[in-house]
Amino acid sequence: MMGNRTRPVVALLGNPNSGKSSLFNFLTGMRQKVSNFPGVTVDKKVGTLKIEDEVVTIIDFPGTYSTFPNSLDERIVTNTLTNLQDENYPDLVVYVADATQLERHLLLASQVHDLGIPMILVLNMADLLEHSATQIDIDHIASFFKCKVLSVSVREGRNTDAILDAIKESLNNKEVSTPEMLFNLDKMEQSVAEQVSAIIPCKGIYHAKLLAHHYKWLDFLSEQQKSDIEKIVLANEFVDLRGQVRETMRRFDIHEHLIKQAVRKPSSSTIGWTERIDNVVTHKVFGPILFFVVMLFVFQAIFTWAEYPMEWIEKGFAISGAWAGKMLGDNWFSDLLVNGVIAGLGGIVVFVPQIAILFFLITLLEESGYMSRVVFMFDSIMQKFGMNGRSVVSLISSGACAIPAIMATRTISDKKERLITILVSPLISCSARLPIYAVLIGFVVPNVRIGIFQAQGLVLMGLYMLGIVGVFAVSLVLKIILKSDSSSFLMLELPDYKKPLWKNVLMTVKKKVESFVIGAGKIIMAISIVLWFLASFGPGNAMQKAEEMAYNTSIEQNWDEEEMANHIASAKLEASYIGYMGKWIEPAIRPLGYDWKIGIALLTSFAAREVFVGTMATINSIGSESDEMTIREKMAAEVRPGTDIKVYNQATSLSLLVFYVFAMQCMSTLAVVRRETMSWKWPVIQFLFMGAMAYFGALLVYQLLS
Amino acid sequence: MDPRKTLLALQPGETGLVALLEENDFISKLMALGILPNTRVKMVRKAPFGKVFYVKLDDHQIAIREAEANTVIIEEVI
Repeated sequence: MMGNRTRPVVALLGNPNSGKSSLFNFLTGMRQKVSNFPGVTVDKKVGTLKIEDEVVTIIDFPGTYSTFPNSLDERIVTNTLTNLQDENYPDLVVYVADATQLERHLLLASQVHDLGIPMILVLNMADLLEHSATQIDIDHIASFFKCKVLSVSVREGRNTDAILDAIKESLNNKEVSTPEMLFNLDKMEQSVAEQVSAIIPCKGIYHAKLLAHHYKWLDFLSEQQKSDIEKIVLANEFVDLRGQVRETMRRFDIHEHLIKQAVRKPSSSTIGWTERIDNVVTHKVFGPILFFVVMLFVFQAIFTWAEYPMEWIEKGFAISGAWAGKMLGDNWFSDLLVNGVIAGLGGIVVFVPQIAILFFLITLLEESGYMSRVVFMFDSIMQKFGMNGRSVVSLISSGACAIPAIMATRTISDKKERLITILVSPLISCSARLPIYAVLIGFVVPNVRIGIFQAQGLVLMGLYMLGIVGVFAVSLVLKIILKSDSSSFLMLELPDYKKPLWKNVLMTVKKKVESFVIGAGKIIMAISIVLWFLASFGPGNAMQKAEEMAYNTSIEQNWDEEEMANHIASAKLEASYIGYMGKWIEPAIRPLGYDWKIGIALLTSFAAREVFVGTMATINSIGSESDEMTIREKMAAEVRPGTDIKVYNQATSLSLLVFYVFAMQCMSTLAVVRRETMSWKWPVIQFLFMGAMAYFGALLVYQLLS
Repeated sequence: MDPRKTLLALQPGETGLVALLEENDFISKLMALGILPNTRVKMVRKAPFGKVFYVKLDDHQIAIREAEANTVIIEEVI
């Protein structure tokens, strides 16, 4: 039936907040990867599980409430479960339900049951049941669904091994049984479903009913099939919405009855923890203040916790570069290795502490349930700017990286709200800007305390605020310009507060750091090597000439050895390919306070902004002989040739900071925007408006300050 | 006077019984979240900047926009 698939496919299904992803992590451990469902940009998390000697593919589907979807993410589930030819069509569904909210969580389970797919029902959160002294009659539920039912706690690892046994047993069970439908169609629906299943092979009558509901967007149906179904639907006056309501209500009625028989819950009128916490956390006044304090803490943590590890990494690379240089002697290969490869590698690894800390804290907020409260509090403000409460989550994630943030907009059902969120998200300062901010702030802001805050932390906060102001200004403009054709929803579950699962949090941090080091790292590494080449060679014998001239000048001026070496190196750099390129754009960036060296960094960081510090590292290590100085020390010490004026003075540094706040300097983000919006139009528009904001913002700052 | 009473008529702290839901695009989502005829809904609070409401059902809580809440017809205020 499922083509010539080599491995059985097990689908993990369940509502959001059911603990489905934790179970996925438990089952697949490190053997998982993320890709896309075909044709759409919905994350498909796939892993493998080895049971004895059989390897099973496990797919973690997006959290879904029912087979009547409201977003792209949810559609994927219906689309897969109604297409028998789909490569992801499951041989077995492991359905994860929150046992403390069984009534609602059983809705989709009963729909899967009626689709005739073999199912194991996992009632998660057994630990919480005990807390509330609730008892569930597992056998009763099992006999109702005619499937294996397990009571587990993924959080505490309780009874989780039984899931493995059940999967194995179920996959080995080849006998085909067709259990009774839990939901009965009415006469008209029955007739529609029968006619539909006459033209399209269906696995039962409920399957056919879903085709009648959703034929308009199911991507595996041909135009001919769609118009055939449409005829049947119209002829029978089958109304999609009415059918959805009838079915959902009927299923809830059945479950209510089931729950009454199977669940014994002591009646309690005590106010729960969640309600007490929310009294403060979502309070009119304290709520937003708390949010602000939390964000301030996050930024301060990034700055202070990452300080020492970053210093060690920098020193470590500087020392190993110098050591490698000594070992290999003075030749082009040693130069490539030390100033190209090692310098570039250092520029990647040095971000790791900050990225890890940021993702650690954001994941913590997400896992605990706090992020949903943020959505609740800020939805109405976001509405004013043409966005959705969920946009807040994207904008906050943008503080780490715009790429996952843009991908997170898929939960926004309204097209316009989603597009605006995608377009403005990169204006939020991401972690790649952080090293640039850190270096430049280090030059111009003294390390002093103002009250309980650090002055450098405050300036950093200011830069983030500037990005946020940019977000709102642009989105306001977009709200007016863009047209909307659909209505938008919020309706969001506010889950009970939970202690985050450390394994989940650490797994997320690990995945994000890995994807940064490998994904962005490749680009940075490649650019570092290209840069080394461009800076080490020049057109014709220009570099040789420059060297001779600089040597002669040094002799005339009677400079000491060190001054001479610096002068020669700098003259050579000026005569290199990259020196020419930097010089060529210098007239355009002079009004912003930048010299050609900064010009080189700007050029290279259009590929990826994190290259800036790496570029400065390469340029400055080429321009200087003392390898043990860190990049930051070298940059801070740099002066304009022939003067005592620091290159990175206040006006230039601040102008550069503003430039980096606004500029769209990330090829990967542009690629993701293209993929998510399905056109080049939006990434191009985004690149242009952000570039204009960067240029004129920096121009304004430099002209005011110098 | 409008005889139609919706969730919006509830003051913070008040509980109402859902009578029916108006037909709309998001009705199945509302129901999947537990807002069904004959369920009790407690209005907990308004969002700090308005327009969104925090409501509590039997064993869980949801955030719902003004326009969405306005499609939920309430029978009696308990």
